Amino acid sequence: MRLGHLHLDPTMTDFAAEPHPPRMLRRMTRARRFRRQLVPYLYLLPAVACFVIWIYEPLAQAFVLSFQQWNLLPTAPKTWVGLDNYRNIFDLPKFWQALGNTWYYLVGLLPLAVLLPLVIALFTQDLPPRSRNLYRALIFVPMIVPPVVAAAVWRWLLDPSHGILNLGLQGLGTKPIGFLSDPDLALWTITFITGWKLIGFATLILSAANAAIDESLVEAARLDGASKWEIIRDIRLPLLSPTLMLLILMVVLLGAQWSFSYIHVLTEGGPLGSTTNIYYLLWQFGFGSLSVGWSSASAVILFVGFGLLAAALFALKAKVTFHDD
Amino acid sequence: MKTTLLAVAVALSATAALAQSMPAEVTEPVTITFYNYNLASAGNGADATRKMIAEFEAAHPNIHVEGVPVQPQDIATRLQADIVAGQSVDLVQMPFAALGFAAENLGAVALEDIVPAEELAGHFEGMVPNGLELGRLNGKTYGLAYTFSTPVLFYNADLFRKAGLDPDQPPATWAELKEAALKIKASTDALPLATGIYGPTALDWLMQGVINSNGGAVINADRTEMTFASPEAIEAIAMLRDLAQEGITENLSITAQMEGMAAGNTAMYLQTSAIQGYLVKGATGNFELRAAAMPAFGDKPVKPSNSGSALSLHSTDPVKQRAAWELMKYLTSERGYTIITSEIGYLPLRPSIVNDPEYLGEWVKAHPLVQPNLAQLEKLAPYVPLPGPNYLQIGISMMDAMEMATFGNDDNVAGILTEAQERTQRLMP
Amino acid sequence: MMTDAATLAPVQPRRRALALSGWDTGVGHALMILVSLVCVFPIYWMIVTSLRPENAIFSTRLWPDAASLDNYAYALRAVPMQRMLVNTFIVSAAVTAVQLLSGILAGYAFARWRFRGSAILFGAVALTWLVPLQVVMIPNYLLVARLGMIDTLGALILPHIASAFAIMLLAQSMRSFPTEVVEAARMDGGNHWQILWQVIVPNLRGTLASLAILIFITTWNEYFWPLLLTRSPENSVVQIGLQMFISSEGTQWGPLMAASTMASLPILLIYLVLQRQVISSFMKSGLR
Repeated sequence: MRLGHLHLDPTMTDFAAEPHPPRMLRRMTRARRFRRQLVPYLYLLPAVACFVIWIYEPLAQAFVLSFQQWNLLPTAPKTWVGLDNYRNIFDLPKFWQALGNTWYYLVGLLPLAVLLPLVIALFTQDLPPRSRNLYRALIFVPMIVPPVVAAAVWRWLLDPSHGILNLGLQGLGTKPIGFLSDPDLALWTITFITGWKLIGFATLILSAANAAIDESLVEAARLDGASKWEIIRDIRLPLLSPTLMLLILMVVLLGAQWSFSYIHVLTEGGPLGSTTNIYYLLWQFGFGSLSVGWSSASAVILFVGFGLLAAALFALKAKVTFHDD
Repeated sequence: MKTTLLAVAVALSATAALAQSMPAEVTEPVTITFYNYNLASAGNGADATRKMIAEFEAAHPNIHVEGVPVQPQDIATRLQADIVAGQSVDLVQMPFAALGFAAENLGAVALEDIVPAEELAGHFEGMVPNGLELGRLNGKTYGLAYTFSTPVLFYNADLFRKAGLDPDQPPATWAELKEAALKIKASTDALPLATGIYGPTALDWLMQGVINSNGGAVINADRTEMTFASPEAIEAIAMLRDLAQEGITENLSITAQMEGMAAGNTAMYLQTSAIQGYLVKGATGNFELRAAAMPAFGDKPVKPSNSGSALSLHSTDPVKQRAAWELMKYLTSERGYTIITSEIGYLPLRPSIVNDPEYLGEWVKAHPLVQPNLAQLEKLAPYVPLPGPNYLQIGISMMDAMEMATFGNDDNVAGILTEAQERTQRLMP
Repeated sequence: MMTDAATLAPVQPRRRALALSGWDTGVGHALMILVSLVCVFPIYWMIVTSLRPENAIFSTRLWPDAASLDNYAYALRAVPMQRMLVNTFIVSAAVTAVQLLSGILAGYAFARWRFRGSAILFGAVALTWLVPLQVVMIPNYLLVARLGMIDTLGALILPHIASAFAIMLLAQSMRSFPTEVVEAARMDGGNHWQILWQVIVPNLRGTLASLAILIFITTWNEYFWPLLLTRSPENSVVQIGLQMFISSEGTQWGPLMAASTMASLPILLIYLVLQRQVISSFMKSGLR
């Protein structure tokens, strides 16, 4: 039995969409209307001011600098170089390899950072409090260690000659596995480590969203004879879908950055460029370097490229999220 | 931001206009900053640096030194930010790869321009000419070699014995090395050879030494043309490719190399002598660690390059220039190099102190691992910093191509290097 | 419909747990145990390594032969650890508080009203993720220098007044907040400010707690910005302290692992304290 009628309006209605009665608007004086229109912006002021000052103003400067060659020093000349900085970046032989790798990272991260946490959150929600808390705490543990340390420990565990996991596998009869030195494996190893660090994060977010679901809806469905799976499919998943979309958006936009620390500590993009992704490449040649031109052009490429991707996802999100009545 | 830049620009040009020659001594209390990367990590380097600063301050009561800890990879960025922000930058421990950038872009002062010629000559007396050359660009001294070292071949004597090799006869040429490595490969589980030649962290410092030793160079002498696709360079890379194809060496990240050697799973490791302390810690109680000179190409002379840092002076104020120069003199004195060598583990640029019992005499006897490193001092061919604002991009692109030519699937070493040489040439100033 | 559902008797946890027994629960537990092991083992390895002497760092024994606290003693001596932990705690707590505050306000604005430019502003918030820190770092450093805040803890907090993640997550949870509840409060004469703080925020405890944990950890582990600002270890944060054991001339693994263990424990405690809020927060106290 589909329970479509149950999970409808109350929780899902976007109350931003709620129409204001036009009668009331007309009655308001202009001053009151103005004040009323101003209110949302006042609520946004702290956040927007922070972003403008610390992020968007420097980004605007970077946009201008991306057409110049300069070293930031007031005594040095600024040279207008047009699109040279961009051309240099697109000319990098590794550019397309990095773009391709970025895609593989993404494909590898989604199951680890979204799907698995979803399963865990749904499963643990219905457990008795003690085992639920224990599981969630254990899964959360990777979050607390600094990335450099996590990377180092994994390197030790996986090392072909002194890594306990690798030696264990060799004990089972495999050859030494170059988890980080084999160009065909290294990317997946780093994806795994990145995902490992994220499971706790995603589980926490999804658990909170899951816990916020009105239990009376679930109970009503149960009284109607719905099975556990039907409850998940028809109540929990639709109600979790905005949170899932947010997580997916994060993985898509930030996945390349999240793997940065591990790439940097474990392989520096190698062997043979097999683990470099677009963020790491642009960091190496661009914003991690001293050349303001390269750095700014890299930032603009990153911003515009992923910005377009984000716009597409937002469009998709709007479709998926509001499509459930 | 615009206005700050403008204000700083005005302030800077004002000081430049007022610039006068440096006073002979510091008579008023003055504070100088010393950007230092040894201070940024815990351990011997930081302790010895603090000790030297304290000794210096005791001898020069008017000068106060503010040590600013900065990681080596961040030093140039940090200077850039601090100079633009109007912070006082006086003396800097500058990694050699960034020295060219510092001279061209970060206002490093040539010593010849501020120090009276006689005084300068007096201080240079007794320093290894090859070593002084390390800090010279276009004939002027922008840096004095401070903490520097050369590449040595560390080896695991136990693994040598296990493979039936004589640990007293380490390989001296690449051909001997290959022979030894094949024996090690046949009779042990160990990786025969790791090198610190590749990887973005190394950039080209060790590669320059390898190619120089085969009579080539990655860049020409006046730093205008990339020459890493020359026949000598191609031959050197082809030799390394052969080692990789034989399974003697592997494409490992720098930490994996170091850990493999320290854990006793690697037989030979060509790397800067600066990591000696780290390897010794791993070896103690586990295996016998020894060191030999960098291997040669046949009977061609070995030309080891150098890693490490030089001291560069960035003050614009004459009094601070004097104070910073005094600190620089102290740090590169007999006493300074004695502390640097015995407590941090780098090479002394004043060879006379090595056998002088007042300085390093006793210490060198007790630490034989430093010997090959000291012996190489005479043969040193200075690292040539890549030029221009794109130096880092040139270096990374070149090393990417060399990694591809050594470990990739394509046998066309010459083709890969030639293509990359043309591409990097376009980034030259 | 909603009011009917909301007045239903609270669910009995015991009954639900019973309803769950079955083969799929067994599979679930097996999966959870496996995932937990994978999550915890590397951390266990970190702690074990911190107890090993320097020449046994690469040992593959599951238990340190001669466990010693030498690495801890060394780490505490070499780096002003306690001071750094206190600094980091202050910074992380302050950033968590202000990000929650700015996130609640901005989230409410996005969720409650449709106003001119709301879509563009929402997009601009999300796109802040895409601006690499290294690019804005130097301009921000100059701004901090102009404010005279170099080498102060304030400079570590100031650029983090708002975060895109907090805003987006809160906007989204407020959007799925039952309209009836808000409408009822409005009938009672509550204005936006009162509704936000008296009706919505108390009921978002779970989301706010999990968000607080995540912001706290993110700030705790932040590295690049503090690195640029550091002039003295005493005014710095714990990640800078950890970095001091790492150098290109060989990392001191034992002390690094000891320092990391010490740096990780406070966050684990914070998690255990806050996560009670996450479990089941929906309408626990009914409609107020």
